[in-house]
Amino acid sequence: MQNDVLSILNESQALNAKIFSLVRLKLLASLAVLGPDGATYRELKAALDISDGVLYSNLNVLKDVGYLSSEKITFEGKELELFTITDEGQEEWTRTRIWLCRFLQCGE
Amino acid sequence: MDRRKKVIAFFRELGFHPDITRFDDRLVAQKLVCLLELKGVDLGYPCSIYVRGPYSPDLTKDLYEFSDEFEHNTTETRLNAREKGTAAQLERIFGLKPILLEVGATYGHYTMREKYSPRQAQTQVKRLKPFYSEAQVALGISKAKEFLFEPTGKDLTELKKETSIWQNASLKSLEH
Repeated sequence: MQNDVLSILNESQALNAKIFSLVRLKLLASLAVLGPDGATYRELKAALDISDGVLYSNLNVLKDVGYLSSEKITFEGKELELFTITDEGQEEWTRTRIWLCRFLQCGE
Repeated sequence: MDRRKKVIAFFRELGFHPDITRFDDRLVAQKLVCLLELKGVDLGYPCSIYVRGPYSPDLTKDLYEFSDEFEHNTTETRLNAREKGTAAQLERIFGLKPILLEVGATYGHYTMREKYSPRQAQTQVKRLKPFYSEAQVALGISKAKEFLFEPTGKDLTELKKETSIWQNASLKSLEH
């Protein structure tokens, strides 16, 4: 059993440690399910109840590592910023979910 | 039968040709489907709450995969008379106005799926959509009530009782 735990822990080296913060996990989880549709900054802020400073900086980190992209859109006469998960972001989120599930022994 | 075909038939009835490169068209498509599901039309795209409010990830996948079919309303499926009536009602009450559809679908989801009281549902709408004005929220909720909640016999009796005082008074005033 100990060997199993150790091997699971060692597998974590294949993951990007930069996404292991609660806010970044929440953002990736929220955007992964929306796929190419994405969500606007104001929707993420309201639904996840995250302050502007924290949200903005974490979105930028995820953009910098290539997991999110953003574009300006116009909706009902207002300019909004739309965030979308990239293919790399989806892959990293899938890897992370699988690893977390193994780590937490989901379904066992 | 592919489930998208019936959705496309509804879109055709509503005169809606979604261009999936446009954010507001994708939003309208999502909220129309969620409202129709709440109304009891089984389209095969159940909605749950995500950061965008009531939403169907499966619909998103199909909107992108079959974007041409959606945009050109390509379908052999025909709506029956009842479904056509529902589409007409949806169009009359909401039109294709994204904000009203979004507020209405969110309110409807919380009252009907999550069994929230009207006040709790309104609070949730305001929490999830704080960027919409009080007036927009109030109008969207009123549209949702009109579309989703048919008055029961009891509702109509109570309404009649409540308004009969004024009705009688106005009739009396006509006598003079």
